[in-house]
Amino acid sequence: MLSATATPRDAAPALTIPAEDYARFCDFFYRKTGIMFGANKTYFVERRLQERMAATRSATFRDYFTMVRFQASGEEMQSLVNAMTVNETYFYREDYQFDALVRHLLPEIARTRAPNDPIRLWSMPCSTGEEPYSIAMQILENWPQADAFSVEILASDIDSRVIAEARQGLYTARALHRLTPSLKSRYFTAVGENFRICQELRGSIDFSVVNITEGLAMRRFRNLDVIFCRNMLIYFDDNSRRRAVEALYESLRPGGYICLGHSESMSRMSSMFRPRKFGATILYQRPVDND
Amino acid sequence: MTKPHVNGKRVLVVDDGMTTRLYYRDVLETAGFGVEEAVNGVEGLERALMGDFDLLIVDVNMPKMDGYEMIAQVRVDPALHEIPIITISTEAGERDADRAYAAGANLYMVKPADPALLTETAQMLTGVEMAR
Amino acid sequence: MPLIKARSHDADDDPVAPDTAGPADADTLLAAATASERRAAVHALEDSVDGQAALCRRLAIEPSASVREAILAALIRQRSPAIAAALLPLLRAEEAPLRNAAIEALAEMPDEVAPHVEALLADPDSDVRIFAGNMLGVLPHPRAAGWLLTALADEHVNVCAAAIDGLAEIGDPATAAALEAVPARFPGNSFIDFAVRVAVRRIGGC
Repeated sequence: MLSATATPRDAAPALTIPAEDYARFCDFFYRKTGIMFGANKTYFVERRLQERMAATRSATFRDYFTMVRFQASGEEMQSLVNAMTVNETYFYREDYQFDALVRHLLPEIARTRAPNDPIRLWSMPCSTGEEPYSIAMQILENWPQADAFSVEILASDIDSRVIAEARQGLYTARALHRLTPSLKSRYFTAVGENFRICQELRGSIDFSVVNITEGLAMRRFRNLDVIFCRNMLIYFDDNSRRRAVEALYESLRPGGYICLGHSESMSRMSSMFRPRKFGATILYQRPVDND
Repeated sequence: MTKPHVNGKRVLVVDDGMTTRLYYRDVLETAGFGVEEAVNGVEGLERALMGDFDLLIVDVNMPKMDGYEMIAQVRVDPALHEIPIITISTEAGERDADRAYAAGANLYMVKPADPALLTETAQMLTGVEMAR
Repeated sequence: MPLIKARSHDADDDPVAPDTAGPADADTLLAAATASERRAAVHALEDSVDGQAALCRRLAIEPSASVREAILAALIRQRSPAIAAALLPLLRAEEAPLRNAAIEALAEMPDEVAPHVEALLADPDSDVRIFAGNMLGVLPHPRAAGWLLTALADEHVNVCAAAIDGLAEIGDPATAAALEAVPARFPGNSFIDFAVRVAVRRIGGC
């Protein structure tokens, strides 16, 4: 990011922004994005704000805050969201949602699904593939009914480079740090210092490049049972977000589910979905009867 | 932020107005309730599902999902359907109250809610022993 | 092996509204039997002015939340003075979802709403003035705080309360004096008292 010399207030003690202003900012940011900063995040948040103030040459926090709120393009709001959200990907990241998938969602779907009618899951955006491969491993390892049903896993991203990497399936040790030794040995082979995911999994996932805001491209994605759409919508401006949420709704079967990232909430985006609780996580269901 | 629970009961305040949320929080915390907030009906449902509340206080006019719809959804959710609900609205008309009751509210109050009445009602609906 | 590779689907079974839809049948398309067909019709119609007028008409009677949301998103994307003018009467709607949807959409088109704000704040119906106050608190317009000061002088307590709430969000220290004068007009109203204190503290007026 910016160097220390580019952020002259770097060396200042935490909370150079007046406490009331800081509280207003947190309220505002929360209302716009659904992201709530705990007290333990104050230092992090203020550092990011100072970086954005420096980048936009804002003299005071109030100047900066006014720009964020009233800028017609919303460009700075987007830069701020990007600065506030750290996007790191690795296997079994936020795996409580994969737990919810195998413990609650798949059994619920299986109750009414004919065995020859595939259960369709979509990882979007899938980045370099850690998420769809994690879903595949979780199903094979932890869903007792896996053998009785066909499961299709689709995985897409707007970035063709990450899709190429996902198809290759070559990862650093760091990406595997949450996996048990037995999972590593069952699904990976060492390639020098790196690890390649087994051919069986690579061949079972349908990777594609897609832009969720392009209606025509999205018509390929229909009748999905579960969509993992984590940490993507927060990066969109309001109009693109509305378009994307509608596209996700059309992609789901009635009764299908969306999983968002842990700091995301549908409550800032849409009222089309019904929040439902599974274990420790909230998922969003397309109403069964509303079609 | 929150003061320690005194009566052990938890209230979720769902209103898009910040000053209104803070006011109910102030009144109810003073009376010993634990209070959480949500800014619209969808968030209200999310919080209610995650939070184990004894009472919901729900505004009618909110973005994304209005109070009537939120209450209707609470009433069909197996985990939530028994939670008592107070609706507080700016609309004083009889048909507004009827609509809230039809959706499943236990009580309809008109803004601005009187603090003593709000406290008493909250205590009654959550089964808290009233102050001497 | 339970995991099978998905086959590419041609979604030919998708409901698609005909491209040649003229204004005469826009209302018919939007009245299709299924919500899915109606959402498709929304997207087919949103680019034309006549289509937008039909969307505004449909919004007032559309029963499905998903179609209402699709219409709103389209109207916000296509925002225009005509769309804002067509949404304004919905502030008087009986149905809460419709009113709130109109407020949300209007708040997203500040330049188109601006010419109507003063009339809204002078509306004889106090509910309309309250909704206008709610909208101004989230309207990204440089004059929003000034309009809220007008609403602050309203005699109806809930219009005033909406203005206080809006100013707590977007007011600046210059609005503090006007806020502090409000409680005297509503003696014994502990909510107004409290809200003003919160607002003044948050905008840094003391």
